[in-house]
Amino acid sequence: MPLLQHLCQFLYDSGFGTTIRESDYAYSIIESVHVITITLVTGTIAVLDLRMLGVVLRRISITHIARAVFPLTWAGFVLMFISGFLLFWAEAAKMYTNPAFRVKLILLALVGLNPLIFHTTVYRRVHEWEALHVSPWRARAAAIASLTLWSGIIIAGRAIAYF
Amino acid sequence: MSLHSWFIALGNSSLGHVMQTSKWDFALVEMVHLLALALLGGSVLVVDLRLLGIILNGESARLIGRDLSRVLIGSLIVMILTGIALLSEEAGKCYLSPAFRWKMALLAAAVLFYFTLHRWALLRTDVSGSTLGSRAAAVISLILWLGVGVAGRAIGLL
Repeated sequence: MPLLQHLCQFLYDSGFGTTIRESDYAYSIIESVHVITITLVTGTIAVLDLRMLGVVLRRISITHIARAVFPLTWAGFVLMFISGFLLFWAEAAKMYTNPAFRVKLILLALVGLNPLIFHTTVYRRVHEWEALHVSPWRARAAAIASLTLWSGIIIAGRAIAYF
Repeated sequence: MSLHSWFIALGNSSLGHVMQTSKWDFALVEMVHLLALALLGGSVLVVDLRLLGIILNGESARLIGRDLSRVLIGSLIVMILTGIALLSEEAGKCYLSPAFRWKMALLAAAVLFYFTLHRWALLRTDVSGSTLGSRAAAVISLILWLGVGVAGRAIGLL
């Protein structure tokens, strides 16, 4: 058995993992928190992405919107990660072989890479274009990548239950 | 025709038949329902935090509300259409489900509130700044929309 699978089995068999899995309400409550925080993260990122694409809030500068939504996005991300990890803990052994879960992890890695590239390139000169109604093409490309990847994460996340 | 027979008719329709027999068709509709939820949630949150005076204070609340209402109403329409398809899978059961009834009541309240007092609060905020009334409107709006989501999640559990 590969090391990673051993680890997943260990989490799955642990007392804490078993408690969540076998509880009547714990799993559902954590899952609801997870869905709400995904809405928080994806929804606030989508507002910024749609602004860069020139769909909404064109008269408000990019940095102004970014400053407003980033604390929400990050707070949501922390809660999403914690609730997601607890759900994984409870089902770790099954998640190891779940194809939708694997796709979701790959998409999560990519969605983390996207802002990393964005912030070190086109966003460094944001003051030159923050007031433009439609952002430069590289920012629009980042926005489309972000919307696509986050949609993929939601779709893959939902698909986990179907395998 | 009574409301109950409408639900039964939906369950027996060809849409209901597809949703009941095809696992992946149901999953696909559910995914679109969730994607629209993310957009709706994000726009509700940004508008209500502006009403509360927490974010984007230098910008016009009316403008933010009007702009994001396109996203909000667009995703609401997608959610209602996909919601009808999801409902058709077990319409008869949902008709009797307390969680489903709560969800519909909260949804009706949220939509009614959004088009009336909430809209008025957005207009007022540009004139007189964040007041107790506009903050109350934001809190009520957040509670109603969150309630719709929580009741929706409960349909599958109760």
